[in-house]
Amino acid sequence: MGTLLISCTLNSIYPLLVHSRASCFAVHKNVSSFFKVWVPLKVQRFSTRVGNSYEGDDKRPNTKQKEQSGKVPHALPKSVFAAGTARKKAEFLKQKWGNDFDKALKGPRKPKENNIPSQPLSAAQWKTLKDDARASHHFEVSMMEKMLAANSDIDVAKSLLAYVAMETGTVSYELLLRYLTLCVHGNHESEVFDVYDIMKKRFKTLETGAYSLFIKGFSRTEKWRECLLLLESIKRVITPSPRNYGYAINGALLHSDSRTAWVLYEEMVEKGLTPNQETWQAFFDSDRSAHDSESKLSSLLLYMRNNQIYPGEALVKSIKVWFESVPGNKWNGSWTTPENSGHCRNCCSSLESIQLTEDEYNQLKEKVMNDVIQGKDVFKKTTPQELESFKSFVKKRPPFDVIIDGLNVANTTSKGNQSETLLEVVSHLAQQNLRLLVLGRKHMLRGSRSWDRKNMSVIQQKADCFFTDNISEDDPFLLYATLHSGNHCKFLSRDLMRDHKACLPDSSTRRLFFKWQRGHQLVLSSYTAGRRIRFETVPKYDTIIQTEENSWHIPYDEDGVERYSYEVPRKWLCLEMKR
Amino acid sequence: MRMLNMHVVNVLRRQCIKQTPVLVQREGSWLMTHCLKSLLLPSSPPCRGLSTAQRLRKEASQPSTDKLDLDLWKSVMKSGGDSSEVTQAEESTEASPLGAMRELVEMWRQAGKLVPENMTEEELQTLEELPTKSSRKKYLKYLALKEGHKKARKKKQEKKKQERAEDAKGSGEDEEEEGSRMKNTFLLQFWQRSIDSLYNWRAAQAMQFGQSLVFDMSYDRYMTRREIENTVSQLLECEGWNRRALDPFHLHFCNLKVEAAYHKELIKRYSGAWDRLLVSVTDRPHQEVFPREKLVYLTADSPHVLKTFDHDKVYIVGAMVDKSIQTGLSLANAKRLNLATARLPLDEYLHWDSGAKNLTLDQVIRILLTIKDSGSWEKALRFVPSRKHEGFYEPQQSQHKHWGKSEARRDNSRTQGAFVRHQAFNPRMQKTLLKDSRSGETAGKSKGKKNWWEEED
Repeated sequence: MGTLLISCTLNSIYPLLVHSRASCFAVHKNVSSFFKVWVPLKVQRFSTRVGNSYEGDDKRPNTKQKEQSGKVPHALPKSVFAAGTARKKAEFLKQKWGNDFDKALKGPRKPKENNIPSQPLSAAQWKTLKDDARASHHFEVSMMEKMLAANSDIDVAKSLLAYVAMETGTVSYELLLRYLTLCVHGNHESEVFDVYDIMKKRFKTLETGAYSLFIKGFSRTEKWRECLLLLESIKRVITPSPRNYGYAINGALLHSDSRTAWVLYEEMVEKGLTPNQETWQAFFDSDRSAHDSESKLSSLLLYMRNNQIYPGEALVKSIKVWFESVPGNKWNGSWTTPENSGHCRNCCSSLESIQLTEDEYNQLKEKVMNDVIQGKDVFKKTTPQELESFKSFVKKRPPFDVIIDGLNVANTTSKGNQSETLLEVVSHLAQQNLRLLVLGRKHMLRGSRSWDRKNMSVIQQKADCFFTDNISEDDPFLLYATLHSGNHCKFLSRDLMRDHKACLPDSSTRRLFFKWQRGHQLVLSSYTAGRRIRFETVPKYDTIIQTEENSWHIPYDEDGVERYSYEVPRKWLCLEMKR
Repeated sequence: MRMLNMHVVNVLRRQCIKQTPVLVQREGSWLMTHCLKSLLLPSSPPCRGLSTAQRLRKEASQPSTDKLDLDLWKSVMKSGGDSSEVTQAEESTEASPLGAMRELVEMWRQAGKLVPENMTEEELQTLEELPTKSSRKKYLKYLALKEGHKKARKKKQEKKKQERAEDAKGSGEDEEEEGSRMKNTFLLQFWQRSIDSLYNWRAAQAMQFGQSLVFDMSYDRYMTRREIENTVSQLLECEGWNRRALDPFHLHFCNLKVEAAYHKELIKRYSGAWDRLLVSVTDRPHQEVFPREKLVYLTADSPHVLKTFDHDKVYIVGAMVDKSIQTGLSLANAKRLNLATARLPLDEYLHWDSGAKNLTLDQVIRILLTIKDSGSWEKALRFVPSRKHEGFYEPQQSQHKHWGKSEARRDNSRTQGAFVRHQAFNPRMQKTLLKDSRSGETAGKSKGKKNWWEEED
């Protein structure tokens, strides 16, 4: 809870905290290290100023909030972009509204009848069983599927096949395929070989399902080289899946043919496939004893960095073990979380900044203008006249500090008047001498119960306002104004902008947008009418795999935390070289 | 033979380990008789590997006490394999570039996946060009379903044909007697041809004097092939509903570029009838055909609600099917041309909270035809599929009551029906009646007026 209370603004409110919130600090378990880092690092002017602005109404005693945090077991993490937030919120809402929805979704489910025989049956017994079954034409295949689901003994399946062979003189491809699945899942190597021989003899070609199963089955055995042939036959008709490649690579690595494995890996990446985590893990695990492909392994990590992929817990453990087993005992790994300031708690080195470089910023500005705001058809989100008038509006005024999505902020709470909510937030920010721009739609000016004219005129005094047509979208204007007011400008909205992110053409620009968004979006974390306004922490560091001369910092996905695509992990692995 | 020997050894070994002898004796004897029976019966399925398999089966069942020869199927499969391989090799001699794909599809079919049995070269080519595995599977599923429907239809037709033939056979004798005589009826038969010409007259009249309705055909670049096909079938249906209406619209297909996807598909679907169709087709945009102030673009994204249907306006419907919902596309078009927009009053009349509020083109035209004829949204919006919403709003009940009132009045007038009918050709009488009904209305003048005209029908 300590971290939650101390917002990103620690550097600026540090004196204040010492006076009024000493009690809070006692809660924080990392406090000592925190001070070590922070006191000598008085940060630049800019962040002080903006920092001030996001400070909550901290003057009143914090007892109230503590009580709350004690009551609510599902205290939300501090950022909407932190892994698990969306999941927790969904669960919280489910609890709040009761589980009716869930129940209705599942409904009373009948227990599946399970009439799989426990031991092999004779042909006659199978026949009676089949006659009893309801859908007898599909009996064999569905029986085999049930066996697969129950993971039953392979001998039972064999006896079924024997019965079928006796009855019809042959076994269909479909049934053989199911049997093969059973064998591969149960690790029956010799059976897989037999089925392979039979299928090869009976059928000229196989289909992708059978090929994949054979690749998986063979990869663990002496005949792993067959995998390569099978992979070739898949390639003839279709691009093999990352899983296909993964098993083939696994096979090669298991039999210590790392050269083949790397060739396959490069081929897969060349085809634009994203390797599986298990494949990477296999590379790290297999190289643990030999340590002869260090540079290649670090290229794996860089690949993850370039594609903003985060390793899972199993993989990151393998990575840690690999680093620690480097001969000479050079590396030291530990689990950590960074400070909000962007420093690793473990090694105190600073992480990469979330701010974009000049080039990246300009590139993003252009792409957002072309692809998000204008898109294929300007008329879809706005009109050219409106866009022009907004452009000149932004140009004429000095750069803004915060752009406010008026309608989004006004609807923060279901209680209370919309215009009052907006006014309160605007005046809170205006107190800190920030130049504000409020975006809204024209209907807000018409005067109604929820949009009081008096409130609106006060807002217009405290901030610049721009009202779009009622049928235009306001988010594109928000993005435009924020991007064109300079790097210091932030925007206030709860909207995650996912639909606008999706308009961007390629994944690298999307990642760039997401990085910019994490560094520039303010989100109201708690708002109580008339009392408290608090913003979520804006991190100063970028959550991505990063390296320096003698350290690696790797954010990873914890087990049991469901991370949505618009979230980033919170846990890190810090690897540093011993001096 | 060596294999079989091995086999027997295997069997014996397994037997020693696993089976209790008592059980084996009992079950085994049963099995033996059963096997013999099945051997004697000639009803085995026709299969190439059959001959060898049968021999094998015989031999395999010789060690009759064995009831659980688990690997029996392997030997059957291995021995039966040769012949089928030969046939498959024959097929594969034609090594076309699409051959591999065809084989894959065939194997997928054997693996029990939903793929079509027969594919044309063209379909295979489309399949080959699809970029991902999942898109290929989807396409195959689509083809398979199509094939299934076709087969089912054919089967049904066959069955009907057969039934008809049987019926004819059964009542053949009576038929002959009756057939010789003329049908005895005092009514002239009304041929389908006469109905068609009546419809065409109405359509022609509408083309001269009727209200115009525009279909904007400028969306073909936003749609996939299948969406265009769907749009065109909906347009066909629209034209049909319009033709059969009492007072049809004058349909315009604007922005229809010659030789574009729409045009080709329309010609394909209408085959010969396209040139005889009573519809105005132009490649000019609608804002050039009609005065701008008369046009109203109907789009679901419009902020304005169409409260009353205006008989002087020209309404525009975007001829588009978007399977993946493309919000604001038609609104953007209207904004670009600075046209008035409107949406149907769905929210005002229907309990419709969730679900996409888009309608098919044929639903839209039926709604428009009804509102044009009756002026009642309740009647018109009955053509919104009832699965989409939870019924009409309660507040409209008051309007229902109001409707009830007018109906009551209608009953009243019906009691005086004889009188009205007598005086029906007296214009002054009509006027006074109109005045009465108008003074009786509290709200919705036009509605009252139309009620009155309805009475006349």
